[in-house]
Amino acid sequence: MSNPLDDPDDDWWNSPVHRRESIWLGLAGAWSLGIFTWMAGFTQFGDQNPVGTTYEVDPDQYQERVGEYKEAAEETDDGLIPPEDDVYVGAMRFNWDGLPAVLEAGREYDIHLGAYDVQHGFSVRPEENLNKQINLQVFPGSEWVIPMTFDEPGTYHVVCNEFCGQGHRTMHGRFTVVEG
Amino acid sequence: MSAIASLFRNDYDADGFRTCSVTGLDIHQSVENYVKLFGLTAVIALAVGGSFAFSVAMTRWEFIGLLDPSSYYTHLSMHAWNLLIFWMVFMEIAVLYVGGPMVLGRELPLRRLAALGWVTMVVGAIGVNASIWLAEAPNEAPLLTAYVPLPVTPWFYATAIVFLLGATIAALPFFATIWTETRDSHRTLPLVAFGAFVTGIIAVEAILGGIAAFAYALAWRIDLIASVDPGIYRQLYWIVGHGTQQINLLAMITVWYFLTHVVGGAVVISEKVSRTAFILYLFFINLGAAHHLLVDPGVSAGWRIWNTSYAFYGAAFASMIHAFAIPAGIEAGRRRRGQGGGLFGWLTSAPWRNPVFASTVFSIILFGFLGGITGVVMGQIQVNMTWHNTLATVGHFHATVALGTTLAFFGLVLFVIKTMFRRDFVSDALASAIPYAYGAAMSVATLMLMYAGILYGVPRRTAEAVRNIPGSEFSFSAAIPIFMIFGIFALLAILSGVLFVGVSVGSLLFGGRLAEGDDGGMLPEGGLHADGGEPIHAVELRGTFALCLIFLGVFAAVYVLNWYLLTQLWAIGA
Repeated sequence: MSNPLDDPDDDWWNSPVHRRESIWLGLAGAWSLGIFTWMAGFTQFGDQNPVGTTYEVDPDQYQERVGEYKEAAEETDDGLIPPEDDVYVGAMRFNWDGLPAVLEAGREYDIHLGAYDVQHGFSVRPEENLNKQINLQVFPGSEWVIPMTFDEPGTYHVVCNEFCGQGHRTMHGRFTVVEG
Repeated sequence: MSAIASLFRNDYDADGFRTCSVTGLDIHQSVENYVKLFGLTAVIALAVGGSFAFSVAMTRWEFIGLLDPSSYYTHLSMHAWNLLIFWMVFMEIAVLYVGGPMVLGRELPLRRLAALGWVTMVVGAIGVNASIWLAEAPNEAPLLTAYVPLPVTPWFYATAIVFLLGATIAALPFFATIWTETRDSHRTLPLVAFGAFVTGIIAVEAILGGIAAFAYALAWRIDLIASVDPGIYRQLYWIVGHGTQQINLLAMITVWYFLTHVVGGAVVISEKVSRTAFILYLFFINLGAAHHLLVDPGVSAGWRIWNTSYAFYGAAFASMIHAFAIPAGIEAGRRRRGQGGGLFGWLTSAPWRNPVFASTVFSIILFGFLGGITGVVMGQIQVNMTWHNTLATVGHFHATVALGTTLAFFGLVLFVIKTMFRRDFVSDALASAIPYAYGAAMSVATLMLMYAGILYGVPRRTAEAVRNIPGSEFSFSAAIPIFMIFGIFALLAILSGVLFVGVSVGSLLFGGRLAEGDDGGMLPEGGLHADGGEPIHAVELRGTFALCLIFLGVFAAVYVLNWYLLTQLWAIGA
């Protein structure tokens, strides 16, 4: 045993480790490997992973793409009904272009996320259960395609949770999920 | 002026040395004065950043709703830079000087560089404050991150670079000391000096990343380059953004080893294990910068998993080593003196009235239980989807920095007031109350931030959302009760911070001068080196082992709860 303000003894490396500290090293090591394995494994067997495909895209081009999508979509009072399985969302100061949208429960959509100007935060939750929520970062210059399957009908609210300028707090959008 | 000059006066021998009545270290005037200088500057930054804590918290508590959005983001930026960067980094230079030349009993070499470093850091810090405060449209407040391509004044990036350069210059005398001490000998540095050395290396890595990030953004802002890539900026930025927090962690752990020893009589139970933990940090902790990129486009899942886990949780394992080694050091030290029997007698009989001891121990406990656990849990890429940019993240880093590091540094400042400024506290009762008041109030405020984020998904970085989202029927009004508790306890935490600054400054100005040889009540019962003579095997470490098992149990519970919430979500991802 030594003190932390003096040089240790010459044979400090060979001093035995206390039994309880050795046990703790084993427990901490096992826990570390365990949570690593769970996280890595969950990407294979789990249903919630922030994993998709990213494409580089000029922000103006992405805005055009969202425009074409909006043309093709059917307009209703609750929002756009996507023509196929692709749903485009364009983040801009201070609006979610492409929202509100009407989706079917239980159907897998490819959600396309991109921004026209600065970084934004895509943050979505059902109205009646705020502790169910997902948050993803959105950039200009990247189109991120992430599959999502909303399993329960209801209204899902989207807010921006990355600071994007003075009007940031007003940025609100909506998914209406109906029975499929 | 004479009052300030008297702060830098002590009785030194002809060579400029004196012997510390608490630590027994031979202290040179040059080291002591620079530690005081950097420490005092840090406390000024704390006072500035802390006043903005008031306006920020009272705006997020929408019951009060103090500021308009136009001022809120400016105040938030001032709060972040002064507390998360300036209060911390000025203290950390002081920690390097304590851990290097002071512990090794040397003069401070390259004093002109120390002075130049301090001046450059002060110029940079004032410049960053001015650039935030004076920013005009179309420039936006930078917050901590100044994410491109949001327009931020180029003065901000330029002055931030000046500050980082200053910190590098100020660290040079420390590295020169280590170089001279080890160049010609095979000596093994004392553990505190070793910890400070690893802290210094991590700091240089962080600073290089910061200079790269800010120079890249600056080049774009002054039209040297035509475009800027947000993903590349984020990767560069988080080398310093997260790296500075790793400096805080390592400096704090070094301070834990130092203070638990000098005021609590702790020993090092295994040099081998504790040093190995520091080496694990050296290799792996900076991978943690990826924690901020877990829900970003364009980074592969494999890259994120490898980095966020610091390579199979190498750095989290290191923290769990210190989590055992430091309390075990206190337990072993006190049991060997016969202080306290049973499972926890060594702990309950410890010097809890000494604010230095209480600050340090609360720092260890609260950092571990609130900051460490949440950091690892939210750093799993899937769980991160439910934490990212919510107030829960803000709760996490208030647990690590505002509770962990700040409490440890409170303890260090109070220790320096006694041992280097040689002043008595203006009021022992008030000084003793600091860690209790601040620790309790800040813990509740921090927990409320976590609840608001994880249970209600309340976003961070917004002036209002809970009672009203302009232009929308939707709001997070279900979280209103959480914010009533948050607001009250945030106020109490700020008042406790005022108490700390008041006691510190008051003691420096009006505290009685300690006589030579007076330990000011800092020494543990029985002195610093009381030795029961027993080898480590003969000492029981049951108490620490039990505490660590409780810690692991809480860790597992928080982990399972977060994963449970995650798996209740709709399906997402390929």
